[in-house]
Amino acid sequence: MISSEDAMKKPVPTPDADSAALWRGLHDGVLLLQHCADCGHVQYYQQAMCRQCGGENLAHRPASGRGKVHSFSVVQRAPGPAFKTDLPYAVLLIDLEEGPRMISTYTGGKPEEVTFDMDVMLVCEKISEEVTLPRFRRA
Amino acid sequence: MLSIRKQTLRGKVAVIGIGMSPVGKVPGKSPLWLAADAAKKALADAGIGKSEIDGVLSSHAFASPFHRFSVAFSEYLGIQPTFSNTLQVSGATAATMFNIGAAAIHGGLAEVVLVVGGDSLLTGLTPDLALRSMTESRDQQYEMPFGIPVANTFAMTAHRHMKDFGTTPEQLAEVAVVQRRHAMRTPGAQQTSPITVDDVLNSGMVTTPYHKLDCSLISDGGAAFVLTSAEHASELGIEKPIYILGGGECYTHEHIFLMPSLTETGAVASSRKAYEMAGYGPRDMDVAGVYDCFTGTVIMMLEDLGFCPKGEGGRFVADGHMTYGGQIPSNTHGGLLSFAHSGMPGSLFHFHEVIAQLRGQCGERQVPGAELGLVHSLGAGFATNATTILGTENTL
Repeated sequence: MISSEDAMKKPVPTPDADSAALWRGLHDGVLLLQHCADCGHVQYYQQAMCRQCGGENLAHRPASGRGKVHSFSVVQRAPGPAFKTDLPYAVLLIDLEEGPRMISTYTGGKPEEVTFDMDVMLVCEKISEEVTLPRFRRA
Repeated sequence: MLSIRKQTLRGKVAVIGIGMSPVGKVPGKSPLWLAADAAKKALADAGIGKSEIDGVLSSHAFASPFHRFSVAFSEYLGIQPTFSNTLQVSGATAATMFNIGAAAIHGGLAEVVLVVGGDSLLTGLTPDLALRSMTESRDQQYEMPFGIPVANTFAMTAHRHMKDFGTTPEQLAEVAVVQRRHAMRTPGAQQTSPITVDDVLNSGMVTTPYHKLDCSLISDGGAAFVLTSAEHASELGIEKPIYILGGGECYTHEHIFLMPSLTETGAVASSRKAYEMAGYGPRDMDVAGVYDCFTGTVIMMLEDLGFCPKGEGGRFVADGHMTYGGQIPSNTHGGLLSFAHSGMPGSLFHFHEVIAQLRGQCGERQVPGAELGLVHSLGAGFATNATTILGTENTL
């Protein structure tokens, strides 16, 4: 059960064994995707096993950062008090050039600018000493 | 594709009692009380005592401190079941409880199973905490840091549906309007003032394309059901048992960005499995309970459950097919949009309504001659899908 006080704070990612490299990479300004040496599958969601073939020969490679908006939704009512000051903001589902889809938010412009299939570019936004989030701007 | 499976639970288990707590704003009552109040009514409806229950399946409750809700519930009601579990697949939990309860009875794990849920999202939690407790169900690393409300994942699916198929905001709004009209005839419904398409479109944007009135309610409430074998139902002399004819589930992803398609969901597979077990198809259904956390969800489900072709859900609704006189009267109690939505028990209200329709107990809401009904529960941005098909004795 969460307390009212906790609800005032934005949730921040706590890296785990599967995701430590992703968050370290973002801190260094790159979005690392996992490439499977056995079947060629590329995955954004980090796991120590290929989701397609089950192989464990996965290599991290930086993404180009280029992608397209597959869908989006502009949030006008925040999910709790922590996000109220950010309103309105556009949540994006982005198809990365390398194949995987990811979720993120729009940065560097007004949320009303966002359209379907719009080209976007990765921006690594440092939100604290420890955490850098992958956001996207208009390409 | 239709194949006779060697052994299924089709027709082996019947619902013999249904009950519901007060719903809507029910201050001063805990989730356990809401569940137990519904259970007492379901037992009275079945005409049996609590000592005859040997199985309990429940959903989880956000406003309850108990991790093992089904166990805490049994203590609260004063029973000691020999089969129990607290199921958690978000909004799909309701239909899974019916499917698993039926399987447990058919498999001999229990003879009389109480399916139950209760939660107090409206008065047991502050509004912000209620919303926040729901966003807690998204991934802590990949989704939550971006501020993803529950509505948002569903909104992005509906938005893409609009882009791909030309579904309009007015068609989404029509779902809310139809269901409000249904709720106006349902005693105890939380929202009963008439609304128009314009009211929905002017109710304030929550997350595009969803306005406030495209979103389901936040409520208190519980519901409970007594399930037993067809033989035991007959021994008890139950007047109108409603049989479980088929069940199916499908889990396509956990993260919204790994959903295989934003516009076609696991409901296709879960309902196909349920239809095959039941030996009936979508056109045979007389009434449906279609999970309606948001208006666009209903439109996509009417397609994926086979009531209309993919992409035509908006027109199907606008043409009057989800209400009386149309192809499949759906959510005749008003649904999560207008009757009540107390979290995981929300979809139990769909079961309550569909079973009452099949029993012919719905008064002015009655769908004439309803014999076959479907309930589809889903949750977590379409991550979880479960379907149950129910029928009267004539459909066996």
